[in-house]
Amino acid sequence: MQEVLTLAGVTRTFGDRRALDDIGFSVRPGRMTGFIGANGAGKTTAMRIILGVLAADSGRITLGDRELTPEIRRRFGYMPEERGLYPKMKVVDQLVFLGRIHGLDRRTARARVAVLLDRLDLADRAQDQLTTLSLGNQQRVQVAAALVHDPVLLVLDEPFSGLDPLAVDIMAEQLRTRADAGVPVLFSSHQLELVERLCDDVVIIDHGRVAAAGDAHQVRTEQAGRRVRIVVDPFDDSAGPDLTEPAGAPTGLASFLDQVPGASLHTQDGPLVVMDLAPDADDQALLAAAQRYGAVREFAPVLPTLAEIFREVVR
Amino acid sequence: MNGWTTVRVVAGREMYVKLRDKAFIGTTLFMLVLISVAAVIPVLISQQTPSYRVAVQGDVAEQVVALAAEMGLDAQDPAQQTPPMLTLMGAGGLPAADITSVVLEADADPARFVRDGDVTATVVGDDVQALEVLGAQSVPEDLEVLLRAAASQLQIARAAQDGGLSADQVQALTSPVPPQVVLLEARPTGSVPPQFLVLAFAFLFYLSVLTFGMSIAQSVVEEKQSRVVELLVAAVPVRWLLAGKVIGNTIMAVGQIVLILGVGLIGAWLVGQGAVLRQIVDASGWFVLFFLLGFVMLACLWAVAGSLASRVEDLNSTTIFMQVLVIIPFFAAVFATDPGPTQRLLSYIPFTSPLLMPARVVLGNAEPWEPVVAAAIVLATSVLFVALGARLYRGSVLHTSQRLKASQAWRGSGD
Repeated sequence: MQEVLTLAGVTRTFGDRRALDDIGFSVRPGRMTGFIGANGAGKTTAMRIILGVLAADSGRITLGDRELTPEIRRRFGYMPEERGLYPKMKVVDQLVFLGRIHGLDRRTARARVAVLLDRLDLADRAQDQLTTLSLGNQQRVQVAAALVHDPVLLVLDEPFSGLDPLAVDIMAEQLRTRADAGVPVLFSSHQLELVERLCDDVVIIDHGRVAAAGDAHQVRTEQAGRRVRIVVDPFDDSAGPDLTEPAGAPTGLASFLDQVPGASLHTQDGPLVVMDLAPDADDQALLAAAQRYGAVREFAPVLPTLAEIFREVVR
Repeated sequence: MNGWTTVRVVAGREMYVKLRDKAFIGTTLFMLVLISVAAVIPVLISQQTPSYRVAVQGDVAEQVVALAAEMGLDAQDPAQQTPPMLTLMGAGGLPAADITSVVLEADADPARFVRDGDVTATVVGDDVQALEVLGAQSVPEDLEVLLRAAASQLQIARAAQDGGLSADQVQALTSPVPPQVVLLEARPTGSVPPQFLVLAFAFLFYLSVLTFGMSIAQSVVEEKQSRVVELLVAAVPVRWLLAGKVIGNTIMAVGQIVLILGVGLIGAWLVGQGAVLRQIVDASGWFVLFFLLGFVMLACLWAVAGSLASRVEDLNSTTIFMQVLVIIPFFAAVFATDPGPTQRLLSYIPFTSPLLMPARVVLGNAEPWEPVVAAAIVLATSVLFVALGARLYRGSVLHTSQRLKASQAWRGSGD
């Protein structure tokens, strides 16, 4: 275990539509990787290709230094986007069946199912037919189906959709436990705040291409850098003689800083101002301008949220 | 864990589902009851000897009833039994019956016993030409036949004695010896005509292929509709899934047939129809073999029919071709129950040969090598169809959104 899943140059077309265009990223062991992108960006296709449900037109996928084979894939855990289990089978029976499909022998499968159901708070529903369970509980059974064979890699398509906050916590805890045990975990989600909270790494995909990938904090830093948060205590004579204020324009500090070449106002809230800098703008010039206006209490780059980056990227 | 284990696990689930399916258990029990009844009822009807209590009043009445009882007893001897058909037509032979007589006092009311239901009938009279049989609502037909025969024999004997005939001559008059029938080309004589056996086999095959075929298709489309198929395909190669499904259902189908045949055979054995038993046992071996081959041949195509649908509701239209492929051979076989060139030809065509070749073995008009050749043809077709089915199944099983055409499935598996 403890191996990295790596995609390199993976391409897939459906008819004349290119669903994945030369994508590459890694899913590292011991870390949770969030997979985000707009609807139709290619997340599900990429996941299906990792699982071998779909074939790639070209590209390589490796776990550690081995190319994926059916034997290796068999030990992956998967939660498809479209949920589904056998509606009329008993919960315990179908989990044992799925465990055995993934290569467990009957005894091991039974033992693991018992442990999992207990951990997921489903032990008392083990003998019930799946259809008699509530949707939330069915979702938990689906999680159990992905975990039953102690997978070496977890791929989950929208595992949190449709869950209440409590169930989200249980699910997140399950994934965290697996990741801590050294299993690479890749999951997609549209709940970006959740991804931000849970993920160590992110992969952002847009129109079949990887827009950003890597350590979540680093991705945010790279995408940021050009947005600055400034808090200034103004001097009494802050409005310099050469500064005029046209009507309707930003007031005080904001309008003062707006004069710096390449800087533009993002938001203003009392003494707090957030400025965007153009790529060629000089942040030191902005600082100098702020110092002329008053005592600078705060001057820091702002890390955009994933949601902000996402909107930026897919625009 | 190798492929074979996976196939076994998949097959095991198919059987698990079937064994919990109330409809499956219901039809199996129904067929078992049907076959037991079919095996036992005719025997019970033909072998059960009715018992009658008959009251008599008067000497002659007593004599006639005693003679009738003797005749009824003789008729129970299997060696003397005439074919049931003849009895029905009244062309000779007498019905078997146990008759016990109760002698009434001369002053007793003969009608009272009948009305009270103490006896089946009362025979009254001292004159053989003026005997009366009293019955309540009716007199059982075989009792009446026996009484009539006894009375006439008594009258013939009296008339013969009056005419001065010797004892031998009287015997010849009253009990003429019928001609003995000798068959030059005797067939195994069961009481079941071979044509009927052919029909029964054809019907069993037809019913089984139709119900299990439909259930294979259903099991495939249920996995598609519930989307669980994506989990399965991620874990195991599609051809193992298909193999497991087909094997699981085949085991259940053959098991059901063997169970039904077995119960039928035990039933026939219990009621002592030795001849029929032999006839069926001889044919069942070939029947089960052809059943197995024919079933596997069609099973993969049924799975394809299921995988072309995206919802259970689509099944009717995607399986119509398969239904035709089962129904037409069935009717062809039904119309070819009599030996002839048509039957010979059809017994080599893979769709009809599982129905007709075992039948020809039963009818005894197949050379020993013929079933072997036909079995080889069915086997070759099975291999072809399994390969075709596997490709189409692979091409269509993941398309969960819409109904597919076979040609799309063929192209779809090119990926």
